Amino acid sequence: MRARWGQTLALAGVSVVLLTPLFGLMAPVGAWRWSASSTPSALATSFTLTGLALVIVVLAGTPLAWSLRTAPKPVRTAFEAVVLLSVLMPPLALGLLLMLAFGPQSALGVLLLRLGIPTSNSTPAFVATQVYASFGYYLLAASAAFNAVPRELEHSAALLGLGPWAVFRRVTLPLARLGLATAVSLAWVRALGEFGAIMVTSYYPHGMPVQLWVDLQDRGLSAVLPLLVVFLLTALPLPWILHLLSNRAHRA
Amino acid sequence: MPIVLDCVLTKARPPLTVEVALTLTPGRWALFGPSGSGKSTLLSCIAGLENPDRGHIRYDGEDWFPPPRPLNQRALGYLTQKERLFPHVSVAENVMFALKPPERRRERPWIEELRSGLGLTDLWEMDARSLSGGQARRVALARTLCRRPRLVLLDEPFAGLDRPLVKALAGVLRAWQEALGFTLLAVDHDPLMLAALCPQVLAIEQGRLVQRGPWAELIARPATPALAALLALDPWTDT
Repeated sequence: MRARWGQTLALAGVSVVLLTPLFGLMAPVGAWRWSASSTPSALATSFTLTGLALVIVVLAGTPLAWSLRTAPKPVRTAFEAVVLLSVLMPPLALGLLLMLAFGPQSALGVLLLRLGIPTSNSTPAFVATQVYASFGYYLLAASAAFNAVPRELEHSAALLGLGPWAVFRRVTLPLARLGLATAVSLAWVRALGEFGAIMVTSYYPHGMPVQLWVDLQDRGLSAVLPLLVVFLLTALPLPWILHLLSNRAHRA
Repeated sequence: MPIVLDCVLTKARPPLTVEVALTLTPGRWALFGPSGSGKSTLLSCIAGLENPDRGHIRYDGEDWFPPPRPLNQRALGYLTQKERLFPHVSVAENVMFALKPPERRRERPWIEELRSGLGLTDLWEMDARSLSGGQARRVALARTLCRRPRLVLLDEPFAGLDRPLVKALAGVLRAWQEALGFTLLAVDHDPLMLAALCPQVLAIEQGRLVQRGPWAELIARPATPALAALLALDPWTDT
């Protein structure tokens, strides 16, 4: 009983530490000022384009994470090293490198522009940056989720006559779903909150993180805080719901 | 529908070379021998979970090796030592996992027979994760037989079950084999379990077949001292 109390107190203490920055919302910065003109547009940009980036990440990352299990070990190790490099990249550095590789001054950027795809300050640049920022996180988490599925169960299903797709759909995917939900949450949070790289590659259209920065520069903290509250309230439900569903499935 | 094997497989840990050539016709065959003699490895090779280093495996005119035939294209049922039930579905769904909805309707009488014959009626809607070892074993056996495979491989089918239940299940399995006519190959190191199910025995020792015939012959004239020792340890033969 004493151990449980100790554990609860420790968790409460850590929670307070983690939530301390939010106490800043009560700081005396004057009356909050709602920016009615820019906020809806920034919200729409962030959620629409992050949703699109997430779809790309999940559609490309899921089969890749699954196939990694059967890749030869040296190939897998080399690939994972590349993925880790992309995950470890500081966001600002990622933005700068993306601009050098794909920006309008680069050969690739010129080619893409000729094809009608502007690589700076555009919707494609915004989405591509989010994909770069979140893909590695999704891939690592999804790989871990698939690795946790016992191969013996897949073999059992195959020996019952199920083809590879049926085994994936009826055994692998249901057993990996909790880990995949975590992977989607991670990718969502990472893409939606991306600031450093987006600032370099796609200052326009303004997403929420950039809008926060712009409002801070132009209008001060009293304009930033309401925007921040809206951002948190709209961004958090998806990972929270996925987390709760995961917990419920674990207990079932 | 004979199964023809002539294959060699070397395992590193523990070091063992399994070298077996045999032809099995429909019937009930016991694969008997001491622990670590290669019994499970042989079943695993037939099922396709392991591939021989050389040789061939043919079943009913189909080449299963070489090249290795995909697992889902081998018309067999394989009960492994661990049940490997699907934890995310119910007992009923585990048993019928291989069947599509129309097949489930068509096979309803057979499914009902499996359910009652293996004592699964009370477990039917339960979560597969909540079963005891013996219950899981019976569910896995039902799942193995549900799609009426022509070849049935059973690795320690009665592990974790008490003697009266073993006797009852062996009777049910015998009846199903005779009715459906499949080839049954069962592995165990306990001759009591195997003798209850299979009239014919293949004795294996250090990866090689050392004797083949009915149990009476094996007990009367075991081919090796190790086999004699295994049979002498049997409490039934002591009495």
